[in-house]
Amino acid sequence: MNGRDGVDVDLIPHHDAWNAGDLACGPMLLALKGRLERLAPGQVFQLVTRDEGAPVDVPAWCRLTGHRLLRAAHPYYHLERRKD
Amino acid sequence: MAGKFCVSLTRSLDDPDRATVAFVVAGAAVASGQETMVFLSIEGVRLAVEGVADAIHEEGFLPLKQLMSSFVEAGGAILVCSPCFKKRNLDPAKLISGGVIVGGARLVEFLAQGAACVSY
Repeated sequence: MNGRDGVDVDLIPHHDAWNAGDLACGPMLLALKGRLERLAPGQVFQLVTRDEGAPVDVPAWCRLTGHRLLRAAHPYYHLERRKD
Repeated sequence: MAGKFCVSLTRSLDDPDRATVAFVVAGAAVASGQETMVFLSIEGVRLAVEGVADAIHEEGFLPLKQLMSSFVEAGGAILVCSPCFKKRNLDPAKLISGGVIVGGARLVEFLAQGAACVSY
């Protein structure tokens, strides 16, 4: 599976992954928050989302919450859980 | 990075689209680490009555009841305008879980503390 940058996302190490399906905006972010919080600080999460708002929304959410956006290549996003 | 965020909602069964989007945005705010309040006033107070939100499911969105419950479970607050509630003869005994009936002073206090606010 390749993101928009052509990278095979299966080769990017991550501790957990989630396909958000058709969820977007608040419902997706609430679910994403819960999943990130279950990880240990520094662990990597792979998000897959078809939400057309995600290329803008996911980086904004990371800035707000302190999680680090390692890579964004819609529909694939890799986030590092923030240090508490 | 935590701030305060208010979503003011004045609609319910009279405009289910607005009511739904208000809670979608409120969910985004609380998921983003903001101390978030939904302030229900005017017709919006009807959503504070158990069962009313069950009737609203806009195409392309999750059911409103689910949006509201996930907002509260994530730590969001639903405040309900007291005189608006009373004017409509709504029953405080049927208040939804997580709903709190308040006067305007609580809204003013929250906004005066620097909360951003969006209205629907």
